Amino acid sequence: MSLSRIARHPRAGLLGCIHQQLFLNPSSLPGGADTRPMSRVPYRRPGEPKDNRPPWKKIKFDFAKGVEGVGRQMMLLKKELLDPLVGPEGKPMLEHMLEQNRVVWEFRGPECLEQWSVSSDREIGGQSEAYLKLGRNDNTCLLYGSLNAAPPRDGETRYSGYCTLRSKQRLCSFDRKTHFDWTSFNTLHLRVRGDGRPWMINLAPENYFSHQKDDIYSYFLYTRGGPYWQDVKIPFSKFFLGHRGRIQDDQHHLWLDKINTIGFTLGDKVDGPFQLEIDFIGVCKDYAHTEEFAYEKYKRNPEV
Amino acid sequence: MNPFILSILLLSLGLGTTLTFASSHWLLAWMGLEISTLAIIPLMSQHHHPRAVEATTKYFITQAAAAALILFASTTNAWITGQWDINFDLHFFPASMLTMALALKMGLAPVHFWLPEVLQGLDLTTGLILSTWQKLAPFILMCQIMPVNSSLITFLGVTSTLVGGWGGLNQTQLRKILAYSSIAHLGWMILVMQFNQQLALLALIIYIPMTFSTFMIFKTNSSTTVNTLAASWAKTPALTAITPMILLSLGGLPPLSGFMPKWMILQELTKQDIPLTASIAALSALLSLYFYLRVSYAMTLTISPNNLNATTPWRLQTTASTLPLAISATISAMLLPLAPATLALLSL
Repeated sequence: MSLSRIARHPRAGLLGCIHQQLFLNPSSLPGGADTRPMSRVPYRRPGEPKDNRPPWKKIKFDFAKGVEGVGRQMMLLKKELLDPLVGPEGKPMLEHMLEQNRVVWEFRGPECLEQWSVSSDREIGGQSEAYLKLGRNDNTCLLYGSLNAAPPRDGETRYSGYCTLRSKQRLCSFDRKTHFDWTSFNTLHLRVRGDGRPWMINLAPENYFSHQKDDIYSYFLYTRGGPYWQDVKIPFSKFFLGHRGRIQDDQHHLWLDKINTIGFTLGDKVDGPFQLEIDFIGVCKDYAHTEEFAYEKYKRNPEV
Repeated sequence: MNPFILSILLLSLGLGTTLTFASSHWLLAWMGLEISTLAIIPLMSQHHHPRAVEATTKYFITQAAAAALILFASTTNAWITGQWDINFDLHFFPASMLTMALALKMGLAPVHFWLPEVLQGLDLTTGLILSTWQKLAPFILMCQIMPVNSSLITFLGVTSTLVGGWGGLNQTQLRKILAYSSIAHLGWMILVMQFNQQLALLALIIYIPMTFSTFMIFKTNSSTTVNTLAASWAKTPALTAITPMILLSLGGLPPLSGFMPKWMILQELTKQDIPLTASIAALSALLSLYFYLRVSYAMTLTISPNNLNATTPWRLQTTASTLPLAISATISAMLLPLAPATLALLSL
């Protein structure tokens, strides 16, 4: 094939007679392959076949779905406009001031499971499994599966064997993010029943810039195996800052005015099945707990 | 922070604003604005908390964009008119650009979106500097470019008063409440600036001690939310009694000092034959008054039957100086009888 067949543009000005410049059009590449940069292409799980359909074939046009979507957004907008007439977060001011406990997540039906997403190292080619279902009598949720610490054979992953349950980002009208404001509280209160495995609780606050996108505040949840429920109360002052899994030297306390998601991660390097049953997740105010932050800051000799 | 570094930064802040005050050349005025922006950046991020760093970055980006727009507008004006002097009238197009750039600098609606988020990420002292000192330089430039596109100024003023009122309605974070308060007050100042710059200056002179008092009260109580403020009756009962006066003064109620600028501004707007604008501004002041009243109610008029969502601290003798707060609180609450003298001083 001669060069002139590949180039589909007119010759470039004065230099055209000396030097033919080749600009590869996306349409000229075989198979109409995607030439977008990696940051723009949606994630493709390893082993999944490539989706080379043109964009207009990927959208499912459905009038009923559109009408239902518009109706749902209008309802959310109406709630958003009317709630401030009552008070902050839709509650009267006195109720906001006197609130001491709040149940944030509970599992009373299949629609509650829609607020959570489950993931494991299967995303990167591992062999762990994790599933989420409602517990007995639709009162709890049960996260179960099995971990396998064998790393995927891709030549670069060294460790594997994890699973996570994370709440989805809360959205208000027109798919805008909304955040939890837990400034009235200082303790996370969970009622869980585990199998003795150590879990990690991750709180993700809202960040604006991409540098802080993976900032997560974590703490441990040690479950006791057995039929008895555990009431776990973890003060927010105990949560430490990590970024992409690495604990930061420069530690700061968690600001509670914009919390996005909570997550539970299991990665204890032990192969085998696991189960975690959660009754509810709430926040409360512990008056006996006055600590602001449990860890030393970066400065060894802070000025007083 | 190291006291030498702190003094360099504070002096640079002062230098930047003074430079802008003293300049008659647009480039020098722009330089003063940039110096004050750069000086406050380390102060804002000194604690290195992720939220403080986020607030600093947002502040830097908005202020740099506004400064670039100021530079572009002044250069365009110099291109068209051949003049760099601030005292000379601006061409229409650069004047409108400068107005929008200065509105972005100050946090006027509709370019106010950065202010509540930035103020929320800062500690109270730096927030105080941002709300008071950093408003001076762009304000004085805005005074000097008047009269400019009248409908644009009226739009900025009315939108700011409305947004300042609506935005602060359901806030429980005190810093965000003060941010919306700042937007509303600046709206009032801008509305009257096109007719009477001395009145705008009077509004600013009254606004600064009121905001200073409010920030110092919150700092004394170490409170950043309405809930923690509600426990202040146990910490500082005297301050709890004075705070409603300051807050209602911010809301513009007579016989407190804050009533003076609002009264004069409404009178001036009526004299200029724009009663509709005056009515909208007065009604939007009611919105602001509602949330000031709510904070006063939560702080002073409630004693909870059970433990509040705040820790009751030990009532120890304070080592911090209370003189600045005493002076500013007195100015904020008791200056109204001096209105005739103040107006005569400002040649009104």
